[in-house]
Amino acid sequence: MRNWLNAVLLLLSTVVLVPAANAAPDAATCLGCHGSMEGAVNVNQEKYSKSVHGSLDCSMCHVTLKGAQHQGFSGKADKATQSLAAAIGSKSKVDPVAQAACAQCHPDSYESYKASVHGQNVMVKKSSDGPVCTSCHGTPHYIQTKTNKESAVNRFNVVQACGKCHEEKHMAEKYGFSPLVMERYLESFHGRKLKVGHAGAPSCADCHGSHGIKSAKDPSSPVSGQNKIATCGKCHKGATPKFVAAITHKPLHPIAHFAELALIVLTMGTFAFICIHVLLDIFADIRDRLFRKGGKHE
Amino acid sequence: MNNAIPNEIERFDLSARIQHIVLFTSFLLLAFTGWGLKYAYQDPASAWISFWGGAKMAGLIHRIAGITMLLDFIYHQFYLVNQARKGGFRLSLVPMPKDVIDAFHNFMYFFGLRKEKPYFAKFNYMQKFDYWAVYWGMVIIGASGFFLTFPVTVSSIFPMWSVQWIWDVLFTMHSDEALLAIVFILIFHFYNEHLRPDVFPMNWMWLTGRMPIEQLKHHHPAEYDYLFGDKSKKK
Repeated sequence: MRNWLNAVLLLLSTVVLVPAANAAPDAATCLGCHGSMEGAVNVNQEKYSKSVHGSLDCSMCHVTLKGAQHQGFSGKADKATQSLAAAIGSKSKVDPVAQAACAQCHPDSYESYKASVHGQNVMVKKSSDGPVCTSCHGTPHYIQTKTNKESAVNRFNVVQACGKCHEEKHMAEKYGFSPLVMERYLESFHGRKLKVGHAGAPSCADCHGSHGIKSAKDPSSPVSGQNKIATCGKCHKGATPKFVAAITHKPLHPIAHFAELALIVLTMGTFAFICIHVLLDIFADIRDRLFRKGGKHE
Repeated sequence: MNNAIPNEIERFDLSARIQHIVLFTSFLLLAFTGWGLKYAYQDPASAWISFWGGAKMAGLIHRIAGITMLLDFIYHQFYLVNQARKGGFRLSLVPMPKDVIDAFHNFMYFFGLRKEKPYFAKFNYMQKFDYWAVYWGMVIIGASGFFLTFPVTVSSIFPMWSVQWIWDVLFTMHSDEALLAIVFILIFHFYNEHLRPDVFPMNWMWLTGRMPIEQLKHHHPAEYDYLFGDKSKKK
């Protein structure tokens, strides 16, 4: 008898709840399944709620959902999102509309991105490389503000984000940038200071820009031609053309290479000499103490 | 000739001792703070830099210590001129052909091919090496460090054709020769003035400035003979 009552109650509550789900399911509804699913469709509820997007409903980005299980959850994306989604459709593994949906709330970033060398490569040239929002920012579920240490585009992490493509040799060949961009930056004073946490040290974005980034060959790039003087001048007051010519990320000049080699030889040679000298001195001292008692040492 | 041989003689006057203290204090600060940047990608670097008050503070300490060291070095040149002016100044630290022979003899002694230590003068070739290493460091590390501190100003004195490599060269000079200086001090200077059984735990001369006469006779016989003539029997 009691079982029957329970069954009726369940049935009734289902009838009441289903129409509500049809409107706009909140994140909790989605996470009911996706919080415990395995693989790419899993969303970690705790990390999601702590992210900057934690208070948003899933359907704000996941505008168009496929499959019977999502029936009734589907809507229509805005124009910007649609055009970005169309451009990245071929390389977006799961849901191009959701991956492009950033454009809905971040129109300024989207506009600069669209005009940037990255955006042009993705949206106009339809290249299979070239970053979309998530390539640098990571999955939107767990995005943090850029001042947070966890953020992929935090000034101390953004170098790795750029490096994902810019330290690749085939990318350097294809797009004509120096293959040692990353290496030369990391070994520079700028890179080292950033690594040890200097608040004033420039990351890639400080000189090259971020969403609106241009090719260094583009005259509007902050690191192109005369613009470089103003860009370096942000920190180095009074920068001159001769000063700004120093940083190119190009491979080490032969003169610098051989100077380095000469200094290494000199350093190693001196090490060898002093180590041998000290060791011989010690052995001679031991010998004197053992076999020449009362000799040299009073 | 004065017959009385004192118990000890002064090797370093007060000014020289203070110069040495300033030199090694600034040297240690430079080495400690610079190390963190040279090995920025090794794990302890960031923690080490925070120990020094963060990257900005470490940089400030490094610059202040560097300028202090350069001033100390410049002061030393005036000190030398003043010593010469006062008279009685001897070029006892200038490398001489005898130093090469002494070094050769010392190695023969190490290998047991000679019975006696070389007839060392006031400063032996190792001490001269130690002394002139500072000059090398000042020229190479000091100058490059000064240039790297004021890159915008300094860039105007370098010709255009050098800008592609000069900064890399300066950086390598500063970083590699600093490593050389640190290892040199850690091995050569520390062994000779701290770990050597005769002087362990340290050669107190850096504080007292004075050397016992026995030690002088033993380690610097030529100087002993120079000062006290025929008082010691030639062996």
